[in-house]
Amino acid sequence: MMNPPASPLAIQKRYELITRVLRLNILSGKLPKGFVLLEGPIAELMQSSRAPVQTALKILEDENLVHRFSGRGFLVGPAGLDAEPLRRDIRELDLQISVEIDEALQSRGTWELVYDRVEEQVASCLIFGEFRIVETELGDYLGVSRTVVRDVLSRLHERGLIRKNQSSHWIAGPLTAQSVREKFAVRAILEPAALRLAFAHIDYAEVERVRARLAQGEDLEWEMLEDTLMEHCIAKVPNGELVQLIRNNQLLLSAASRALNRLGLPRDRVAHGEYHTLFDLLARHLVDSAAEYLESHLRVMCDKNLARLKIVAVISQSSAIATYLTPK
Amino acid sequence: MPQTVRSELAAPPHIERRTLRILGTEITLLEQVRARAQADLGFNIEFEVLDFLSCQRRAALEPETYDIYDQCFHNLDIVWFWGSLQPIDTQRITEWDRLTGLTREGGINKYAWRGHGDAPVRKLYVQPGEFLGPEPSRHISMLPTVHNLDSFAYDTRVFSKSGRRRESWAWLLDPRAKGRIALVDEPAIGIFDVALAAEAAGHLQFADIGNMTVAEVDALMAFLNDLRQQGFFRAVWRNAEEASRLIRDDQVSAQSMWSPVYGDLGDMADVMAEAVPVEGYRAWHGGMSLSRHLAGPRLDMGYDYMNWWLSGWPGGVMARQGYYMSVLERVQEAMPPAEWAYWYEGAAATVDLPGPGGNIVVRAGASRAGGSYWQRASHIAVWNTAMDEHNYAARAWDRFAMRVRGETP
Repeated sequence: MMNPPASPLAIQKRYELITRVLRLNILSGKLPKGFVLLEGPIAELMQSSRAPVQTALKILEDENLVHRFSGRGFLVGPAGLDAEPLRRDIRELDLQISVEIDEALQSRGTWELVYDRVEEQVASCLIFGEFRIVETELGDYLGVSRTVVRDVLSRLHERGLIRKNQSSHWIAGPLTAQSVREKFAVRAILEPAALRLAFAHIDYAEVERVRARLAQGEDLEWEMLEDTLMEHCIAKVPNGELVQLIRNNQLLLSAASRALNRLGLPRDRVAHGEYHTLFDLLARHLVDSAAEYLESHLRVMCDKNLARLKIVAVISQSSAIATYLTPK
Repeated sequence: MPQTVRSELAAPPHIERRTLRILGTEITLLEQVRARAQADLGFNIEFEVLDFLSCQRRAALEPETYDIYDQCFHNLDIVWFWGSLQPIDTQRITEWDRLTGLTREGGINKYAWRGHGDAPVRKLYVQPGEFLGPEPSRHISMLPTVHNLDSFAYDTRVFSKSGRRRESWAWLLDPRAKGRIALVDEPAIGIFDVALAAEAAGHLQFADIGNMTVAEVDALMAFLNDLRQQGFFRAVWRNAEEASRLIRDDQVSAQSMWSPVYGDLGDMADVMAEAVPVEGYRAWHGGMSLSRHLAGPRLDMGYDYMNWWLSGWPGGVMARQGYYMSVLERVQEAMPPAEWAYWYEGAAATVDLPGPGGNIVVRAGASRAGGSYWQRASHIAVWNTAMDEHNYAARAWDRFAMRVRGETP
């Protein structure tokens, strides 16, 4: 999920800076052809949230410096380039980042630099039960001041990831079957409705592109299909409030999904086929049918997610859980 | 999707003897069964016996380490959705049409109440979208084999057995047994023993005991922790050996039970009785599944092995532990009539009867609590179940069980 920007000015500045860094390093060859560009690692390298990275990658795609492929992310090089995806940690490449850009990137609020990491850590612990966050421990872990910690916690609170209990402790989780069921019920109300309202604004060219690739039997990654539906269809609805509600409601579910995938849960081939049908309907502009289909798809996904959640019961509390999260 | 292609060729000569690896628990994986299967089937059989939770975890996470997974229907949700198993083609199961209605249709007869929770039929058939459900289809997730109707054991010195006392799950948490209560430590099992007890005693009520809400789980765990602080619990146990030791050492007056434990009580056999709770039994059903990697000749071996289990003799061995088998006719043909009459028909034993190890586990004159198979199987309250809130409930249960053991969660 994207982290909404602090202000429109700030985001503009950041995505431009990131675009410049990436463009420069592609042109100089530091970023080799076929290199897989992923939002997360770039965001981390640039000490940014994901939203400006997303924007930067789209700009570079328009400039034909990067292109989409069957996997998640973008490949360096123009579309049609027949390069093997090169998967490496971008931090190993020692990119050129000029001093001005570096300073500009640093100048943002400190809490924003650490927020994405904390959000991901908190969101992925929820399937393992209930955890307490102690402000001082989070501060030590991040190496930041109490003020910064409070900014981070209040953002987490705002997004529904943590709450305060009766003794005023910050509590995260647990993600229960009941909350999964409720969140999917909300999805089934909001998302088909948003899709209908977005009718005139859907990026049909993008839908057609993905559909054509699925039709050719390309093995597209699940997250990419989900992103396409969300970013190019549902989020095109001209109602910012609605988009925000949908994003917030999806936040926990997608974090739980990512956490489950990290545990080694296999890919869901059936859901893959359902996306294909959905994009077929959208490509033919049958938006009502697509919305109905989306609703039934979400119902199936809810049952599947409930089943997947049970699986976690056999996994002991992962050692991957950040140290500032104390099991209750 | 199912791999239905049979090997076209007979096994080539002069090759190393083939091996089939079975992952399971102490319920079914007995050495004498392994030796007999190996002799009958003509290939090596390896048994790997793990405790309930480790077995389930291994089955889910490491399907390449076994060929056949032998556990229970209530473990299926977890293992199946991890994608570790492949569907079984019922057309390759020779006795499929003879399986009891309990598994294929959901009840021992059409009038019997199915019980709450994961009745095996609800997880049996592979449905469109790779879900599991009760609508009959050609492919199944797990071949139903052994099963039983469980309750608890009680101390006849504390709960008088004379007269016609109403035996109730409430006794499992009864103040008369305070300090001498032991529970089975497996969340998909132990939780239902205590839930049945708490409901029978009037402490709690569940809208659907087989699929509790978060609030119901919280209430149950709070109730249990309160009893724990009052000193109600002597122990929790994880295998039959631990359960029988608690009774033989006269440590308990009420405890969760598995049937083989009744044959291993020593002098305490006359003191501890098997309850026939008015509320009904906690039922469970075992079965076997195919690892997803099995294909070709090894898949054939897997089917041979599963079919062998339904051929009669293994059911006779299982009966000596008190377990029933899903194909009755074959078992009856293979069992001595006196054993069949005692274990399945509920008749008084005409002679002393042996357990699977050959030692005497039933004295002449005794009869099985609860009566015949058909009586017992018509009286199911709830099945062992991985509820929707299983992840939440199992973690709460683990914290409780650790505290009973004197550990800090």
